[in-house]
Amino acid sequence: MKVKVISIPVLDQEKALQFYTEKLGFVKKIDVPLGGGTRWLTVVSQEEQDGPEILLEPAPNHFEPAKVYQQALFEAGIPWTQFNVDDTQKEYERLVNLGVEFSIQPTEMGTVKVAVFNDNCGNNIQIVQML
Amino acid sequence: MTTQHMTYYHQEITQIEKTCYSNKRHLQTVIGLRHYINNNFDKELSLSLLSNIRFTSKFHLLRLFKRYYGQTPKQYHIDKRIEQAKLLLTKGAAVTETCYTLGFDSPSSFSTLFKSRVGLTPTEFQKRATFTKSVKI
Repeated sequence: MKVKVISIPVLDQEKALQFYTEKLGFVKKIDVPLGGGTRWLTVVSQEEQDGPEILLEPAPNHFEPAKVYQQALFEAGIPWTQFNVDDTQKEYERLVNLGVEFSIQPTEMGTVKVAVFNDNCGNNIQIVQML
Repeated sequence: MTTQHMTYYHQEITQIEKTCYSNKRHLQTVIGLRHYINNNFDKELSLSLLSNIRFTSKFHLLRLFKRYYGQTPKQYHIDKRIEQAKLLLTKGAAVTETCYTLGFDSPSSFSTLFKSRVGLTPTEFQKRATFTKSVKI
């Protein structure tokens, strides 16, 4: 078995695509229409385009428990997932300049430095730098 | 920021920081060791040498690294070398050149280790990386 796709639930796929490509810098990889306005839509890291794909899935709009779970995590400030960066402070400053809102500013936590931002699609996302 | 204004998650990680990462001397030691490996991944990893630099026993150093990073210095050293090998091969370096640049003993031991970690031999990996590059163009 191989890890090829991980999913992030999003409230609006088009808005999510814009945020994940234009602000976070990911690259669109697969875009297949699935009917009813939904798509199999994945993005990959610019530096690792053969690496795991992130599926921007519209589950919260089609399955109520997914929506409830996503909302509960969001309100508690819990990240849906995390991405690794070389320098959390630098990435924080870059994203703040693009208008991204953070619930946790760069914070050292033992062997890592983390920060948490709002992806505007219903999720908190954490960035992590290994120290 | 006061606890009152923190999210539940922020409060939790603040608590974990206090509980698990209060020993700053330990943290300084393991972070220093990780940086040393990052800067010397092409050399043989000598825990005896590192323990002398850090004034501690090599067994203690090993335990501390595993405790804070979840893997042994040796495992981390190998991961670092594989990561660098992928970079060099993607840039077009020959397999033998990559092998010796990274400090492996022989191309066969390098290829075996690479295949066990990446799922492809260095040559297969390089072919695929070159193909992906050309498709993008």
